[in-house]
Amino acid sequence: MSNGWPMRLLIVEDNVELAGLLAKGLKAAGYEADILSTIDEANTVLRTTFYAALILDLGLPDGDGLGLLREIRHRNIPMPVLVLTARGGLQDRVHGLRSGADDYLVKPFALEELIARLEAQLRRPGHLLGGVLRIANLEFDTGNRQASINGQPQLLSARETAVLELLMRSKGRVVSKKQVEDHIFGHSNDISSNAVEVYVHRLRKQLAEMEAKVQVHTIRGVGYLLAENK
Amino acid sequence: MPRFKSIISRIVILHVVAVAVTSILMSLALSWLLNYATNNIHNQAMKKQAIALAEHLEIQPDGKLKLSLTPDLQGLYSQPYGRYSYAVIDSQNRVVFSSLKDRVPLFPRDAKSGDVEFLQRNRGDATVSGASVKRVVGGQTVWVQAGEDLDNRDVLTDDIVAEFFRSVGWIILPILFILLVIDIAIFRRALKPLRQASQIAETIGPLRADIRLPTKEIPREVRPLVLAVNQALDRLEEGFRVQRDFTADAAHELRTPLSILRTRMETLEDQQVGKALLNDIEGMTRIINQLLDIAELDSFVIDPHEEADLRMVCTEVLEFLAPLALAQGKEVALVGTANSVLVRGNAEMLNRAIRNLAENAIRHTSPGSTVEFVVEENGTVSVLDDGPGISDEERDFIFQRFWRRDRGMAGSTGLGLPIVQRIAELHTATITLTNRKPRGACFSIKFARLSA
Ligand SMILES: Nc1ncnc2c1ncn2[C@@H]1O[C@H](COP(=O)(O)OP(=O)(O)O)[C@@H](O)[C@H]1O
Ligand SMILES: [Mg+2]
Repeated sequence: MSNGWPMRLLIVEDNVELAGLLAKGLKAAGYEADILSTIDEANTVLRTTFYAALILDLGLPDGDGLGLLREIRHRNIPMPVLVLTARGGLQDRVHGLRSGADDYLVKPFALEELIARLEAQLRRPGHLLGGVLRIANLEFDTGNRQASINGQPQLLSARETAVLELLMRSKGRVVSKKQVEDHIFGHSNDISSNAVEVYVHRLRKQLAEMEAKVQVHTIRGVGYLLAENK
Repeated sequence: MPRFKSIISRIVILHVVAVAVTSILMSLALSWLLNYATNNIHNQAMKKQAIALAEHLEIQPDGKLKLSLTPDLQGLYSQPYGRYSYAVIDSQNRVVFSSLKDRVPLFPRDAKSGDVEFLQRNRGDATVSGASVKRVVGGQTVWVQAGEDLDNRDVLTDDIVAEFFRSVGWIILPILFILLVIDIAIFRRALKPLRQASQIAETIGPLRADIRLPTKEIPREVRPLVLAVNQALDRLEEGFRVQRDFTADAAHELRTPLSILRTRMETLEDQQVGKALLNDIEGMTRIINQLLDIAELDSFVIDPHEEADLRMVCTEVLEFLAPLALAQGKEVALVGTANSVLVRGNAEMLNRAIRNLAENAIRHTSPGSTVEFVVEENGTVSVLDDGPGISDEERDFIFQRFWRRDRGMAGSTGLGLPIVQRIAELHTATITLTNRKPRGACFSIKFARLSA
């Protein structure tokens, strides 16, 4: 994934079997994962070792994983944390996110989903995963901000490039109109209400002309979603 | 014993009964007292009369007795007047003098009697009551008897008794009435803390199982009841807590092995085998999630101060479901107001309710159709589809746990709508179900709007 070196992740999960299987799945996706099963061990190891991201189970034998999460945030370790929880209950979700998790998954989750979420975190500006985003025959190089189809570089305006990058970073997920707006124009207020629609419309047209096998779906009243053509 | 709805009515009725009984007893006691007093007066009068008569007795030289009455005494004992009578009896039991024509003793004479005796006797229709006084006049022992016809006297006494009640009744009845009113006021005052406790008790429900009744102002007699109620509430809350803990444990115990199973399947070398099994796992996951949700909802306590933005919640649901809908060739859209709509409630629960309605709508429509979410300013959220709709017969069943039209449908649990209903119930929200024209269903939930 990055410069030939496998990225190191830390899994803190007390269920040895699940942890092993996750490590195996992540290895297949090009990551190297260490496994710890207590908060105590994790606290010690995190003092000396650098990890690209942490996959944290909430129910641990020596306490709640959220405690470790708070400790990490307190120590200002700039590491994305993906929380795993078996408590998909009505009171749990917001709770976990408020304590500083970057994302969470309720068990049982799809391995593919775990990896996608992880990469979304790692690709966020300031994080480790740079490189190329890919959907079907469409590629986007986050380094030089260049889109290409089937390896052929394509010419897009700055605004459309910005929209495309945002949509590709959030592959498979809905991006709200507001997010697109903030992304292209910053947080300025005097933007005509249909400016975003105009850019999305142009991007859609150009993607079609470029014969990209992707589609920008409009979720009316909510936002946009980029997905592979079926 | 009649049943009383309220303590106050019980007090009023018992008080009225007590007043009635007291009045009767008091009349009886008073009339007895009065009788006793009049009898006493009468006896003393008769004794005096007999003594007065005896004073007019004298012995003549021939040894015979003579009674020389003054004219006013003669008048008193005159026959036409008929009220008083006298007789003088000697030791041979002969009537020496009498005001009566038949010259019989007023009362039988008793040789062993004392100096004064009070006697009563029936004479024809009349009852004569009076005194007999023993005297020795000139060596002869005589009994002077004076009597009064009671029929005459009673008229007078009855008058006195009746008069007494007429004047005293006027005083006593209002006093008793005022007492009743004061009693009611006192009791209402005494019951005030109980009324307040009842008002607090009204707010206790599964949502607010933490409230306890105040014991401070409660009268000592009722305090055991209030304490017992509070203890019952403790046990109830404990019950809720046990269920909540159980649900949380069950979630962990079920989801972790399912997670292992799923990941193992996904890391298999042979991806073909995994595909079908993954579908099964997804169906099973759904059923477990729905079961855990309904179990959690059974013991859920929401903070009455919580608020949620209905539009924001809808946006989250759409963001979550849009990829799934698109994958099935269906669309979702959020229409209605663009402003945030603040309602009273727990955002995660609202999310769960709307998501269940939306999943149903997506599931029951064919590819190419759009499921619409409408959020209104008044706190209503609706999910509209163009599927088969809900027939009138089905209306009675769809909210029952485990009911579903097609039991074979994968991942169908029949718990979705009961979850929606329970969440609405917890929020005292109302669900409306209408069928659309030409086809389709519209489920609406109206939540309590918070003034922004
Ligand atoms: N929007 C809808 N259109 C038609 N039928 C519906 C709709 N929503 C629910 N139903 C019927 O009600 C049944 C119960 O729904 P639900 O309680 O959500 O359980 P589930 O979705 O797991 O079957 C469904 O199986 C379906 O037959
Ligand atoms: Mg359902």
